[in-house]
Amino acid sequence: LISTMARQARATESRKISSELFTLTYGALVNQLVKDYESDVEVNKQLDKMGYNIGVRLIEDLLARSNVGRCHDFRETAEVISKIGFKTYLGVTPTIANWSGGYDEFSLILDHNPLAEFVEIPDDHKKLFYSNILSGVLRGALEMVHQEVEVKFIQDTLRGDDTTEIRLKFIRKLEDAIPAGEE
Amino acid sequence: AMAVVCVAVVSKENYPLYVKTTVPDSDLKFHYLVHTSLDVVEEKVSFLSEHARGSSERRELYLGQLYPSEEYKIYGYVTNTKVKFVVIMENTNSYAKDNEMKALFKKLHSAYYNLLRNPYYTPGHQIQSKMFDQTVASLMQQSSK
Repeated sequence: LISTMARQARATESRKISSELFTLTYGALVNQLVKDYESDVEVNKQLDKMGYNIGVRLIEDLLARSNVGRCHDFRETAEVISKIGFKTYLGVTPTIANWSGGYDEFSLILDHNPLAEFVEIPDDHKKLFYSNILSGVLRGALEMVHQEVEVKFIQDTLRGDDTTEIRLKFIRKLEDAIPAGEE
Repeated sequence: AMAVVCVAVVSKENYPLYVKTTVPDSDLKFHYLVHTSLDVVEEKVSFLSEHARGSSERRELYLGQLYPSEEYKIYGYVTNTKVKFVVIMENTNSYAKDNEMKALFKKLHSAYYNLLRNPYYTPGHQIQSKMFDQTVASLMQQSSK
Protein backbone atom coordinates (compact mmCIF):
# COMPACT_ATOMS: atom_id res chain seq x y z
CA LEU A 1 0.00 0.00 0.00
CA ILE A 2 2.77 2.42 0.90
CA SER A 3 4.64 1.80 -2.35
CA THR A 4 1.45 2.36 -4.35
CA MET A 5 0.91 5.67 -2.61
CA ALA A 6 4.51 6.64 -3.27
CA ARG A 7 4.13 5.78 -6.95
CA GLN A 8 0.93 7.81 -7.15
CA ALA A 9 2.63 10.75 -5.49
CA ARG A 10 5.46 10.65 -8.02
CA ALA A 11 3.03 10.36 -10.95
CA THR A 12 1.00 13.36 -9.79
CA GLU A 13 4.15 15.41 -9.35
CA SER A 14 5.17 15.04 -12.99
CA ARG A 15 1.78 16.24 -14.28
CA LYS A 16 2.29 19.96 -14.06
CA ILE A 17 -0.34 22.60 -14.60
CA SER A 18 0.57 26.03 -15.86
CA SER A 19 1.01 28.53 -13.07
CA GLU A 20 -0.57 31.06 -15.43
CA LEU A 21 -3.86 29.21 -15.33
CA PHE A 22 -3.61 28.88 -11.57
CA THR A 23 -3.05 32.57 -10.89
CA LEU A 24 -5.76 33.58 -13.36
CA THR A 25 -8.18 31.12 -11.76
CA TYR A 26 -7.44 32.39 -8.28
CA GLY A 27 -7.78 35.96 -9.49
CA ALA A 28 -11.14 35.23 -11.10
CA LEU A 29 -12.25 33.66 -7.84
CA VAL A 30 -11.31 36.67 -5.74
CA ASN A 31 -12.85 38.97 -8.31
CA GLN A 32 -16.15 37.11 -8.16
CA LEU A 33 -16.18 37.17 -4.36
CA VAL A 34 -15.55 40.90 -4.42
CA LYS A 35 -18.53 41.34 -6.72
CA ASP A 36 -20.76 39.06 -4.65
CA TYR A 37 -19.88 40.30 -1.17
CA GLU A 38 -19.44 44.00 -1.10
CA SER A 39 -17.30 44.31 2.01
CA ASP A 40 -13.61 43.40 1.94
CA VAL A 41 -13.87 41.98 5.44
CA GLU A 42 -16.56 39.58 4.24
CA VAL A 43 -14.47 38.52 1.25
CA ASN A 44 -11.54 37.83 3.57
CA LYS A 45 -13.84 35.60 5.63
CA GLN A 46 -15.05 33.68 2.58
CA LEU A 47 -11.50 33.16 1.36
CA ASP A 48 -10.58 31.83 4.77
CA LYS A 49 -13.51 29.39 4.71
CA MET A 50 -12.60 28.12 1.27
CA GLY A 51 -9.02 27.79 2.34
CA TYR A 52 -10.08 25.77 5.36
CA ASN A 53 -11.89 23.26 3.13
CA ILE A 54 -8.81 22.96 0.97
CA GLY A 55 -6.47 22.63 3.93
CA VAL A 56 -8.29 19.72 5.58
CA ARG A 57 -7.87 17.77 2.33
CA LEU A 58 -4.49 18.99 1.22
CA ILE A 59 -2.82 17.80 4.40
CA GLU A 60 -3.52 14.19 3.42
CA ASP A 61 -1.69 14.70 0.15
CA LEU A 62 1.22 16.37 1.89
CA LEU A 63 1.59 13.60 4.45
CA ALA A 64 1.38 10.97 1.72
CA ARG A 65 4.04 12.47 -0.50
CA SER A 66 6.51 13.54 2.15
CA ASN A 67 7.80 11.37 4.94
CA VAL A 68 7.47 13.98 7.64
CA GLY A 69 6.86 12.61 11.11
CA ARG A 70 5.10 14.04 14.12
CA CYS A 71 6.09 17.55 15.08
CA HIS A 72 7.18 17.68 18.71
CA ASP A 73 6.79 21.38 19.11
CA PHE A 74 5.53 24.44 17.30
CA ARG A 75 9.03 25.26 16.05
CA GLU A 76 9.13 21.99 14.14
CA THR A 77 5.66 22.74 12.78
CA ALA A 78 6.92 26.07 11.48
CA GLU A 79 9.83 24.40 9.68
CA VAL A 80 7.56 21.82 8.06
CA ILE A 81 5.05 24.46 6.96
CA SER A 82 7.68 26.55 5.28
CA LYS A 83 10.16 24.03 3.92
CA ILE A 84 7.75 21.27 2.96
CA GLY A 85 4.25 22.72 2.76
CA PHE A 86 4.87 25.99 0.97
CA LYS A 87 7.75 24.53 -1.02
CA THR A 88 5.66 21.66 -2.34
CA TYR A 89 2.56 23.58 -3.33
CA LEU A 90 3.74 27.07 -4.11
CA GLY A 91 7.41 26.57 -4.83
CA VAL A 92 8.50 29.14 -2.25
CA THR A 93 9.94 28.89 1.26
CA PRO A 94 8.77 31.77 3.40
CA THR A 95 11.07 33.02 6.13
CA ILE A 96 10.11 32.09 9.67
CA ALA A 97 10.42 35.13 11.92
CA ASN A 98 9.15 37.10 14.90
CA TRP A 99 8.81 34.29 17.40
CA SER A 100 6.99 35.16 20.59
CA GLY A 101 8.70 34.59 23.93
CA GLY A 102 6.89 31.33 24.61
CA TYR A 103 7.45 30.02 21.08
CA ASP A 104 3.73 29.79 20.51
CA GLU A 105 3.47 32.48 17.84
CA PHE A 106 5.50 33.15 14.70
CA SER A 107 5.30 34.86 11.36
CA LEU A 108 5.85 33.66 7.84
CA ILE A 109 7.35 36.33 5.61
CA LEU A 110 6.72 35.80 1.92
CA ASP A 111 9.22 37.49 -0.38
CA HIS A 112 7.41 36.12 -3.36
CA ASN A 113 3.73 35.26 -3.51
CA PRO A 114 2.82 33.18 -6.57
CA LEU A 115 -0.88 33.83 -6.05
CA ALA A 116 -0.41 37.54 -6.43
CA GLU A 117 1.97 37.93 -9.34
CA PHE A 118 0.98 40.89 -11.50
CA VAL A 119 -1.98 41.72 -9.28
CA GLU A 120 -2.61 45.35 -8.45
CA ILE A 121 -5.50 45.99 -6.10
CA PRO A 122 -7.43 49.20 -6.74
CA ASP A 123 -7.31 51.77 -3.97
CA ASP A 124 -10.86 51.27 -2.79
CA HIS A 125 -10.18 47.74 -1.53
CA LYS A 126 -7.49 48.43 1.02
CA LYS A 127 -8.90 46.03 3.62
CA LEU A 128 -8.77 43.06 1.28
CA PHE A 129 -6.20 40.38 1.98
CA TYR A 130 -5.99 39.00 -1.55
CA SER A 131 -4.25 35.77 -0.55
CA ASN A 132 -6.36 35.10 2.51
CA ILE A 133 -7.16 31.63 1.21
CA LEU A 134 -3.74 30.69 2.58
CA SER A 135 -4.85 31.50 6.14
CA GLY A 136 -7.67 29.01 5.83
CA VAL A 137 -5.50 26.36 4.20
CA LEU A 138 -3.00 26.52 7.06
CA ARG A 139 -5.71 26.50 9.71
CA GLY A 140 -7.51 23.52 8.15
CA ALA A 141 -4.36 21.51 7.56
CA LEU A 142 -3.09 22.04 11.09
CA GLU A 143 -6.46 21.14 12.58
CA MET A 144 -6.24 17.74 10.89
CA VAL A 145 -2.98 17.08 12.65
CA HIS A 146 -4.59 18.06 15.94
CA GLN A 147 -3.25 21.55 16.30
CA GLU A 148 -5.62 24.44 16.73
CA VAL A 149 -3.86 27.44 15.30
CA GLU A 150 -5.10 30.94 14.64
CA VAL A 151 -3.82 32.19 11.28
CA LYS A 152 -4.12 35.65 9.84
CA PHE A 153 -2.45 38.06 7.48
CA ILE A 154 -0.74 40.97 9.19
CA GLN A 155 0.79 42.68 6.17
CA ASP A 156 0.40 42.41 2.42
CA THR A 157 2.53 44.10 -0.23
CA LEU A 158 -0.57 44.26 -2.45
CA ARG A 159 -2.06 46.70 0.05
CA GLY A 160 1.05 48.82 0.07
CA ASP A 161 2.67 47.29 3.16
CA ASP A 162 6.41 46.63 3.19
CA THR A 163 6.16 42.86 3.31
CA THR A 164 3.65 40.05 3.12
CA GLU A 165 3.41 38.53 6.58
CA ILE A 166 1.18 35.75 7.91
CA ARG A 167 0.93 35.35 11.69
CA LEU A 168 0.34 31.90 13.22
CA LYS A 169 -0.63 31.50 16.87
CA PHE A 170 -0.82 28.14 18.58
CA ILE A 171 -4.02 27.86 20.62
CA ARG A 172 -4.11 24.25 21.83
CA LYS A 173 -3.61 20.63 20.99
CA LEU A 174 -6.83 18.91 19.89
CA GLU A 175 -7.18 15.59 21.67
CA ASP A 176 -10.64 14.47 20.61
CA ALA A 177 -11.84 13.55 17.13
CA ILE A 178 -12.57 16.53 14.92
CA PRO A 179 -16.23 16.80 13.97
CA ALA A 180 -16.64 15.58 10.40
CA GLY A 181 -18.72 18.56 9.27
CA GLU A 182 -17.12 21.52 7.50
CA GLU A 183 -17.64 25.14 8.45
CA ALA B 1 20.08 59.02 -30.17
CA MET B 2 16.39 58.89 -30.83
CA ALA B 3 14.03 59.73 -28.05
CA VAL B 4 10.68 58.14 -27.49
CA VAL B 5 8.30 61.01 -26.91
CA CYS B 6 5.04 59.13 -26.84
CA VAL B 7 3.73 55.64 -26.17
CA ALA B 8 0.09 54.83 -26.85
CA VAL B 9 -2.10 51.75 -26.50
CA VAL B 10 -5.26 51.68 -28.58
CA SER B 11 -8.14 49.24 -28.26
CA LYS B 12 -9.35 47.06 -31.09
CA GLU B 13 -12.29 49.44 -31.48
CA ASN B 14 -9.75 52.21 -31.99
CA TYR B 15 -10.22 54.21 -28.84
CA PRO B 16 -7.22 55.09 -26.70
CA LEU B 17 -6.50 52.98 -23.62
CA TYR B 18 -3.29 54.69 -22.64
CA VAL B 19 -1.30 57.66 -23.89
CA LYS B 20 1.92 58.70 -22.20
CA THR B 21 4.22 61.43 -23.40
CA THR B 22 7.52 62.92 -22.25
CA VAL B 23 6.73 66.36 -23.61
CA PRO B 24 4.80 68.52 -21.11
CA ASP B 25 1.55 70.20 -22.16
CA SER B 26 1.28 68.37 -25.44
CA ASP B 27 -1.12 65.55 -24.63
CA LEU B 28 -3.66 66.80 -27.15
CA LYS B 29 -1.13 66.96 -29.97
CA PHE B 30 -0.02 63.41 -29.39
CA HIS B 31 -3.55 62.12 -29.03
CA TYR B 32 -4.19 63.64 -32.45
CA LEU B 33 -1.06 62.14 -34.00
CA VAL B 34 -1.94 58.71 -32.66
CA HIS B 35 -5.49 59.07 -33.94
CA THR B 36 -4.43 60.02 -37.44
CA SER B 37 -1.95 57.17 -37.59
CA LEU B 38 -4.73 54.65 -37.01
CA ASP B 39 -5.89 54.84 -40.64
CA VAL B 40 -2.44 53.86 -41.80
CA VAL B 41 -2.42 51.06 -39.23
CA GLU B 42 -5.69 49.67 -40.60
CA GLU B 43 -4.36 49.84 -44.15
CA LYS B 44 -1.14 48.06 -43.31
CA VAL B 45 -2.91 45.37 -41.31
CA SER B 46 -5.36 44.57 -44.10
CA PHE B 47 -2.51 44.54 -46.62
CA LEU B 48 -0.47 42.16 -44.50
CA SER B 49 -3.46 39.95 -43.75
CA GLU B 50 -4.36 39.63 -47.43
CA HIS B 51 -0.90 38.52 -48.34
CA ALA B 52 -0.74 36.05 -45.51
CA ARG B 53 -4.01 34.46 -46.52
CA GLY B 54 -3.67 31.11 -48.25
CA SER B 55 -0.25 30.54 -46.80
CA SER B 56 0.25 29.27 -43.31
CA GLU B 57 2.19 32.38 -42.37
CA ARG B 58 1.00 34.46 -39.50
CA ARG B 59 0.77 38.19 -39.89
CA GLU B 60 3.84 40.09 -38.73
CA LEU B 61 2.88 42.10 -35.64
CA TYR B 62 5.43 44.88 -36.14
CA LEU B 63 4.27 47.34 -38.79
CA GLY B 64 7.35 49.51 -39.01
CA GLN B 65 7.18 53.19 -39.69
CA LEU B 66 3.63 54.29 -40.36
CA TYR B 67 3.98 57.53 -42.30
CA PRO B 68 6.59 60.18 -42.81
CA SER B 69 6.35 63.38 -40.84
CA GLU B 70 8.70 66.32 -40.40
CA GLU B 71 8.87 66.34 -36.65
CA TYR B 72 8.39 62.72 -35.71
CA LYS B 73 8.83 59.10 -36.64
CA ILE B 74 5.73 57.07 -35.87
CA TYR B 75 5.86 53.28 -35.46
CA GLY B 76 3.05 50.79 -35.12
CA TYR B 77 2.48 47.25 -33.86
CA VAL B 78 -0.78 45.34 -33.77
CA THR B 79 -1.38 42.22 -31.68
CA ASN B 80 -3.45 39.28 -32.83
CA THR B 81 -6.31 40.54 -30.69
CA LYS B 82 -6.15 43.82 -32.65
CA VAL B 83 -4.80 45.87 -29.76
CA LYS B 84 -2.53 48.53 -31.22
CA PHE B 85 0.65 50.05 -29.87
CA VAL B 86 1.91 53.32 -31.33
CA VAL B 87 5.34 54.69 -30.48
CA ILE B 88 6.33 58.18 -31.55
CA MET B 89 9.96 59.20 -31.69
CA GLU B 90 11.64 62.53 -32.24
CA ASN B 91 12.88 62.83 -35.80
CA THR B 92 16.60 63.27 -35.57
CA ASN B 93 19.22 62.36 -38.10
CA SER B 94 19.84 58.93 -36.66
CA TYR B 95 17.62 56.01 -37.55
CA ALA B 96 16.30 53.47 -35.16
CA LYS B 97 17.01 50.00 -36.51
CA ASP B 98 14.13 47.64 -37.07
CA ASN B 99 15.58 45.25 -34.51
CA GLU B 100 15.61 47.92 -31.83
CA MET B 101 12.04 48.91 -32.53
CA LYS B 102 10.87 45.31 -32.59
CA ALA B 103 12.54 44.76 -29.21
CA LEU B 104 10.85 47.85 -27.82
CA PHE B 105 7.43 46.71 -29.01
CA LYS B 106 8.02 43.24 -27.63
CA LYS B 107 8.63 44.74 -24.19
CA LEU B 108 5.46 46.78 -24.53
CA HIS B 109 3.48 43.75 -25.62
CA SER B 110 4.88 41.81 -22.68
CA ALA B 111 3.86 44.59 -20.28
CA TYR B 112 0.37 44.57 -21.76
CA TYR B 113 0.16 40.84 -21.33
CA ASN B 114 1.24 41.13 -17.70
CA LEU B 115 -1.45 43.73 -17.22
CA LEU B 116 -4.05 41.22 -18.36
CA ARG B 117 -2.89 38.89 -15.62
CA ASN B 118 -4.23 41.37 -13.08
CA PRO B 119 -7.78 40.27 -12.33
CA TYR B 120 -8.64 43.89 -11.58
CA TYR B 121 -7.90 45.04 -15.10
CA THR B 122 -10.71 44.53 -17.60
CA PRO B 123 -9.57 44.45 -21.23
CA GLY B 124 -10.98 47.43 -23.12
CA HIS B 125 -10.81 49.71 -20.10
CA GLN B 126 -8.40 52.56 -19.45
CA ILE B 127 -5.03 51.38 -18.26
CA GLN B 128 -4.20 52.55 -14.74
CA SER B 129 -1.36 50.40 -13.57
CA LYS B 130 1.81 51.33 -11.72
CA MET B 131 3.61 48.36 -13.21
CA PHE B 132 2.66 49.35 -16.74
CA ASP B 133 3.68 52.96 -16.07
CA GLN B 134 7.07 51.76 -14.85
CA THR B 135 7.72 49.71 -17.97
CA VAL B 136 6.75 52.59 -20.25
CA ALA B 137 8.91 55.00 -18.25
CA SER B 138 11.91 52.69 -18.56
CA LEU B 139 11.36 52.36 -22.33
CA MET B 140 11.24 56.12 -22.65
CA GLN B 141 14.37 56.53 -20.53
CA GLN B 142 16.35 53.84 -22.29
CA SER B 143 15.85 55.33 -25.71
CA SER B 144 16.96 58.79 -24.72
CA LYS B 145 20.46 57.62 -23.72
